[in-house]
Amino acid sequence: MSNKVNRRDFLKIMGWGGVGATLAGCDMPTTVTLEEGKEEVTSYMIPEEYVIPGVGVYYASTCQQCPAGCGLHGRVREGRVLKLEGNPESPINRGRLCQMGQAGVQAHYNPDRITRPMMRKGSGLTTVSWDEALTHIQSKMEGVSGDRFAWFTDTVSGHQAVLMDAYREAVGSSRHYVHEIINNSVSRQVNQDMLGDPQPRLRFDKARVVLSFGADFLGTWQSPVHNAVEYAAFREAPRGVLVQVEPKMTLTGANADLWVAVRPGTEGVFALAVANALSAKNPAMLDGLPDKAKQLVRRYDIKKASRITGAAGEHIVKTAGWLAERSPSLVVAGASAEGHGHGYDTVAAIMLLNVILGNIGETIEASGAFPFPQLVARTGGTRDVMDFAKALDNKELDAVFFRGANPVFTAPESLGLRDKLGKVGLKVAFSQFEDETTRLADVVLPMYSAMEDWGTHVAAYQAGQAVIGIQQPLMQPLYEQTRGFGDVMLSLLKMRKVPGYDGYADYYAYLRDAFSALPDSLKNGASNDEFWASALQRGVLEVATGGGSLTAKVVDFDLPENPASEGAYTLVPSARLGLWDGRHANIPWLQEAPDQISKVVWDSWAEMHPRTARKLGVKTGDAIKITSANGSIEANVYVYKGIHPDAIAVPMGQGHETYGRFAKGRGVNPVKILALNTDGKTGELAHHSTQVQVSKTRVRDSMVIFGGSETQLGRKIVATVTADVYERTEGEA
Amino acid sequence: MFNTLQLPSGHITHRGARFVNRFLTPSLFWLAVIALVLGSGAARAESGVPNAVPPVGTHKGDDVPQPIEFPHNTHADVNQINCMYCHTYARRSKVAGIPPTSKCMGCHSVIATDKPRIKKLTEYWENKEPPPWRKVHDVPDYVHFTHEKHLKRFVFDNEGMQVENVAEVCAFCHGEVKKMTVAHKVKPLNMGFCRRCHEANEGPFDCWKCHK
Repeated sequence: MSNKVNRRDFLKIMGWGGVGATLAGCDMPTTVTLEEGKEEVTSYMIPEEYVIPGVGVYYASTCQQCPAGCGLHGRVREGRVLKLEGNPESPINRGRLCQMGQAGVQAHYNPDRITRPMMRKGSGLTTVSWDEALTHIQSKMEGVSGDRFAWFTDTVSGHQAVLMDAYREAVGSSRHYVHEIINNSVSRQVNQDMLGDPQPRLRFDKARVVLSFGADFLGTWQSPVHNAVEYAAFREAPRGVLVQVEPKMTLTGANADLWVAVRPGTEGVFALAVANALSAKNPAMLDGLPDKAKQLVRRYDIKKASRITGAAGEHIVKTAGWLAERSPSLVVAGASAEGHGHGYDTVAAIMLLNVILGNIGETIEASGAFPFPQLVARTGGTRDVMDFAKALDNKELDAVFFRGANPVFTAPESLGLRDKLGKVGLKVAFSQFEDETTRLADVVLPMYSAMEDWGTHVAAYQAGQAVIGIQQPLMQPLYEQTRGFGDVMLSLLKMRKVPGYDGYADYYAYLRDAFSALPDSLKNGASNDEFWASALQRGVLEVATGGGSLTAKVVDFDLPENPASEGAYTLVPSARLGLWDGRHANIPWLQEAPDQISKVVWDSWAEMHPRTARKLGVKTGDAIKITSANGSIEANVYVYKGIHPDAIAVPMGQGHETYGRFAKGRGVNPVKILALNTDGKTGELAHHSTQVQVSKTRVRDSMVIFGGSETQLGRKIVATVTADVYERTEGEA
Repeated sequence: MFNTLQLPSGHITHRGARFVNRFLTPSLFWLAVIALVLGSGAARAESGVPNAVPPVGTHKGDDVPQPIEFPHNTHADVNQINCMYCHTYARRSKVAGIPPTSKCMGCHSVIATDKPRIKKLTEYWENKEPPPWRKVHDVPDYVHFTHEKHLKRFVFDNEGMQVENVAEVCAFCHGEVKKMTVAHKVKPLNMGFCRRCHEANEGPFDCWKCHK
């Protein structure tokens, strides 16, 4: 085709000539040169009996892209893993897999993997042998004992965690810092205090109304794929109603029947006002609540709540109406409700709704005790990183082992980790990529990718049937000088002469032994070999959890009369299914996948309400400077109605200084400029409470947005009706 | 032959013309049609592949030097070894597969062991390294081509087709490899080439059949 053919002409040709006309160009020289003899094609020396080149073999494993622990099926062809899909046997994801999971192959084949051990010699990192690196660690660690050693990791579980504990205990330390900027730590604390279970099982599928305060349960909250499966059941007839209350529209918010923008920090007021409206119809609902809670509910009538939250009074009435009419319901709280100085109290106010609506025991079920406490996930939030910084200030640490977490990137700059880490004598990074934290380490140990390593995983959120997820290598390691995490831990334990590990040649042998030692009740009469083979084949091992029960105790909580933030604008560091907290910024597929709301690719942006944009005199594409007391970032504006006028949202994930060619120097990291406010009761970072100033810096910069229009411009490309009209004309779904 | 009609010559001309007009012309037409059909049938029979219209198109491929100058002619032509004996995956997979080195050694640990090419092969075998063969035929990654389906259509599910003649089906896209030493690309293997063949043989014609 000549390049004079524009889109319209093309469509005309298609219309007139049919397919033939457009296919006439098929004999043109191809744009992809397939030069003969430029590539090698390697045969087997001796063919594997069950391998047919070109035909995929499937292996089960467990996804490591986020802490949800979904089961995987990897398609392997000629010894290379090519495609990942969900494992239908896993009760967590039931055969589905999100985009981050699908992109796991690009973490594995990433060209920026660390391929050799490195040690700091002088100012830079120098390639060394494994022997030298491990001997160095061992000799340094000989002088370290007690709490002067610490682990600093992301969520870890299973037998890897057992080995980490064994090493920590051998040193005599009790310190294990777990850091996740995307977390639900405040809710876990509230759940523990009110229900006696930090992570109860939530039944979205049983609920007829879901009221979510910033919990992006389809995108980034707890176990997104599992939630999405249950959400599908929730939306089947009779169709459940979803109300989402948050300052910035999330993926879940975009799916809601009613999306309510509230002023940042006022989610608790909205919840109490809903309780107020419910009790106005049915005063008995508040029976049994502590007097203080009753007073708080009575404090917020609709008018007052509407003034404070900025939400329309009718939305509060409507939400209360749905909750009163349809039972059971489910009320959940996420990051934008938790991330305030009064985060705990806000979540308690939200959980109060579950109590008065009788959802405890209905849509909120006890998770039961996992029978192997040593394998249970060590989860965390942001409190640990602040404790860690304090420990560094007090020079309490001589050696820190990092795994998974990248706190230099995912903690506020004002915490000063970059400088404070210099006070630690030995920093070891078990890492696949040179991220901001790994770069500061003294010893870098190159790890196998998730597709090359062995492991067991117990997700923090166990969905119904509890399972141990089994991670097995989908292919041979790509690089000779990388090693498995468990293998290295065994080496370190042996070098430290910790008794009990000499017999294990490698982590595989250790796992085999650990599985043989599991109780017979799990094996169904199978031999140890059969049991192991079937566990590998299925990828999950079901375990029975003890029953457990939930309490419905309303904790003592309080809210400021008007909890709204006082400054002009509140910074919302939003999370998205894709780049997550920044750990996937080096995966081109996920950089290229447009954000679910703004459709921006390969960049950061600042989401802003049209009214705010008018006030500041900016349009989509203009660059603005966002300044907090702790620094400033610059990003292009994206004007969108799905945000409260008092909020400026900048997504997390970009702004890496290093971390490979796809991530480096791209966009900005809003976490950098967060204020070190904390939630008064849990000590977690109040990440949604940073006040910022905004100023325009440049006009009309380039900004790559997929799609380009948020509306259908009246063309009715996709016809829609409102829920009200649907119910009037079609009856209740 | 008209004598048998025993008619005056004038009549002959006249009646003959009528005969030609009324009977012979249409007959000749039908004869021609039958001859054409038979002729083309004969052409088909010649190719040895029934129910198939071979694809049309040529390409002048580069010489691709291989680590060992493998003589396809000695194997497939002189010794009449079936293509699928070595390219054993063609019938089961999207790729035909390069034979595993163990297959070469199956014969060449005893046959022609003194020839320089076999010595070189033996060297690879003993070093436990497969020869680094160079790829001659390929399609882009966005094209899904499967040998399995094509062999099913033209060989195994093709009535009257002799499996011994499979080389002629291979030749549709690979040319007469049995007359070559190392393979040369002699067919264009571009979309027009595929499309015309699919048209002629009523193969699937949806975009996503190949671009999926």
